Amino acid sequence: MWTRGVRINHPSIAASVLEENAAAVMAPPFTPYTFIQCPCSDSSTFNRRSPPSTPTTHHHHSDNDDNDDDDDDEHPFDPRAPRSNYSLYPLEYLLYCEDCHQIRCPRCVAEEIVTYYCPSCLFEVPSSNLKSEGNRCTRSCFQCPVCIGPLSVTSLESHPDPNTLPVPDNPSAAPHGGPYILICSHCAWSSTEVGIQFDKPNSIHAQLAKLRNGGNPRMTAKERKERRKDLAQSLGSSYSSSSASGYTGYFADELDLDLDLETQFSNLKLFYQSQLANANTGGVGSGSSASGSGAGGAFGDLGFTSPTSLSRILNIYTSASSQDKKAKSRIGTMREALDSDEGLKIANLDESEAIAKLHAEGHPGTVSTSQLLNQTPQLHLGEPHLHGRSRFASELRPIPYLLRTKRSKRCPICRHIISKPEAKVLTTRFRIRLVAGSYIPSITIRPLSLPNASTPDPSALRPSKPAQFVLTFKNPIFEPVKITLATPALTPGRFPSKVTVLCPQFDIDANTDVWDEVLKDGDKRRKKGESMDSASGAGGVGGGQHQHQPAAGKIWERGRNWVSIVVEVVPASLRKPSQDEMPVLKEDEDLLEIPMFVRIEWETDAMGDEVGAVSGKDRDLPKLKRELAYWCVLGLGRVSDQG
Amino acid sequence: MSRRPPRGEYIETDTGNKVARKATLVGTQNIMLGGKTVIMPEAMIRGDLVRTLQPSPSSSGAAPNNTAVAIGRYCFLSRGCCLRPPGRLYKGLFTYMPLRLGDHVFVGPGSVVQAATVGNYVHIGAKVAIGEFAIIKDYVRILDDTVVPPNMVIPSFSIVAGQPARVIGEVPEGGHEAFELRELYKTVGNNPQPAPV
Repeated sequence: MWTRGVRINHPSIAASVLEENAAAVMAPPFTPYTFIQCPCSDSSTFNRRSPPSTPTTHHHHSDNDDNDDDDDDEHPFDPRAPRSNYSLYPLEYLLYCEDCHQIRCPRCVAEEIVTYYCPSCLFEVPSSNLKSEGNRCTRSCFQCPVCIGPLSVTSLESHPDPNTLPVPDNPSAAPHGGPYILICSHCAWSSTEVGIQFDKPNSIHAQLAKLRNGGNPRMTAKERKERRKDLAQSLGSSYSSSSASGYTGYFADELDLDLDLETQFSNLKLFYQSQLANANTGGVGSGSSASGSGAGGAFGDLGFTSPTSLSRILNIYTSASSQDKKAKSRIGTMREALDSDEGLKIANLDESEAIAKLHAEGHPGTVSTSQLLNQTPQLHLGEPHLHGRSRFASELRPIPYLLRTKRSKRCPICRHIISKPEAKVLTTRFRIRLVAGSYIPSITIRPLSLPNASTPDPSALRPSKPAQFVLTFKNPIFEPVKITLATPALTPGRFPSKVTVLCPQFDIDANTDVWDEVLKDGDKRRKKGESMDSASGAGGVGGGQHQHQPAAGKIWERGRNWVSIVVEVVPASLRKPSQDEMPVLKEDEDLLEIPMFVRIEWETDAMGDEVGAVSGKDRDLPKLKRELAYWCVLGLGRVSDQG
Repeated sequence: MSRRPPRGEYIETDTGNKVARKATLVGTQNIMLGGKTVIMPEAMIRGDLVRTLQPSPSSSGAAPNNTAVAIGRYCFLSRGCCLRPPGRLYKGLFTYMPLRLGDHVFVGPGSVVQAATVGNYVHIGAKVAIGEFAIIKDYVRILDDTVVPPNMVIPSFSIVAGQPARVIGEVPEGGHEAFELRELYKTVGNNPQPAPV
């Protein structure tokens, strides 16, 4: 969903998520970000100080190693470790378990499906239907097999006689009758291209199930079942004379053509079942199998192709007494399917037709890999055997929409539900929604631009040139919190940048009622005569002292429930000190990311487990100390390679 | 265009709408604003594309059905975007149909919206094209440069991108508040407030 250095609103996110090529990532202006590490990955980071598998540690210089020595934390977190990619999340993606008092991420929560629905018609699909009809919409919702755009049902007669049309009295009289087709309004693909038309504008799925590409009818599941029943009877009756019927059916071409994948499977299954039954009862008497196995010597009486051999082998381990009884039947071997009624399908190895078609239609007539991937096997149910692939655009079939789900989420440890949407498809409310954003402070980053300092582009980090960033912590809970920050003095990686948090410890006031803020704001505004400095950012307490310089141990700005502090970084030079030429940068090595350990302490009423709901009226209650600590990563920007 | 120099860049109405003087609103009598909506300069709303064919001619009251574009509260129409009612053949005659925007809809710069319905809390990025009669439900984020094909239905909590658009992700539970446009509303107008922390 997001990549390092790319926010969720990246324009070409679909492409960049897959490719992550540096050019695509570089293109948009850099937005600073904060990712938070979920504690579920703690065991992996706890045990190893710096993972030996990390590519960055391979190239560790001896002069870089001192960051390990300076750091007195037991397990400094390396945002560049390959594992970190799986544990870092933006705050919005994290949930919070109120019983464990811990952050939960999408990777560690347990999901339960509440509702299945079609994303196109937004109809709920009961889970019983799901078992019988699969995970796709069985109404009229289809995607274009070429471009995946939505297909809409249109009448083929798009220009009916306008004189007869305005019939307001009788709206049920359809102005344009059939035949109907599916048409893609994005790429203009239509089902006529594969020769499919419909009689009715509704229940397209059922109609499509009866139509083959080209318009020929195909058997429905019911017909297939009936046919199977007939087949079973004929097979059962003709079994005694199986050799006679077998070879006549072999050349029955009309049957062979009809043999689609599903029928073939059911035929085969039926055939083997009857073989099994046959082998168990009359297999002993069949002399042909006895002669075949007799020549096999030592392995002969094992009867490899015997259906009973498996049960016999199992019997060896379960009960030794039954060996003699089973020995009689073990020689009964199965013959293989001989005709299409029994599920035999001769592979059509003559590809001259396909080659001729390829000559005629060329590359545009063929399907791409992604189009092929969208063609799930079940779309071809009842289709002639394609031997696993369709190669021409004329073989594509409309894709019924894959169903979507609403899911509730449980804490993996205590099994409490931490997120539960309303079951109805069209409501967007949640019954339970414990998001981390309402429990832990949000951290926003912006470059510090002093009014007198003239930095041309604050977002570009110049090597060895100190840059200052303002981190704003906003407290969402209704208690004041105490925050302690820790960062390694040097960022991990080949190019360590110096990091100094000017004020690593501070308190944030409680998140009071919204109305208090409005009233207070109004007061302030009246006092100051609406002379708020637009560059300073919101009614801070220190409204007049914006000219102040960042100083160690001092809070930069403070508001109702937020505090800003300054972090100073000295970006590393991307050139190695020893050699002048640029080393080859690996992916995202120019990205300046600071691992930061955040520790939050607050006091809450002993009974009020739910932090947000405590009104704070009963001051007599004993206060309970709580703390929460986690690693996060601040992405500040990219270090430019000049200088 | 205007004879005297405008005092402010925006016209602010009683219901809190902030309409840029440089925005192009055609057929203003057919445009309904719910209030607290921001229309940036160079944005365009085609209120003139009103439906030509009334759905029920028996009821002679033509006035209530004349809305071409209905916009909810706290919508934000960025610079250079265009809202255009969708049109199609209906019983043999071409007619436009109303375009409805819910509350807290952000339309990015340079985007063209021809949807039938856009729900509440929808973020449409920059240079997005939304095809005719698309239906966008609540809490949907459409990333920049997306082309939403006509008639597409985008269910709630989808993140959509690509040409043609496809659902590439789900809006996380904690991301609902990011769709709120109340604060953004305060930052524009003749008397803009700084964005809160």
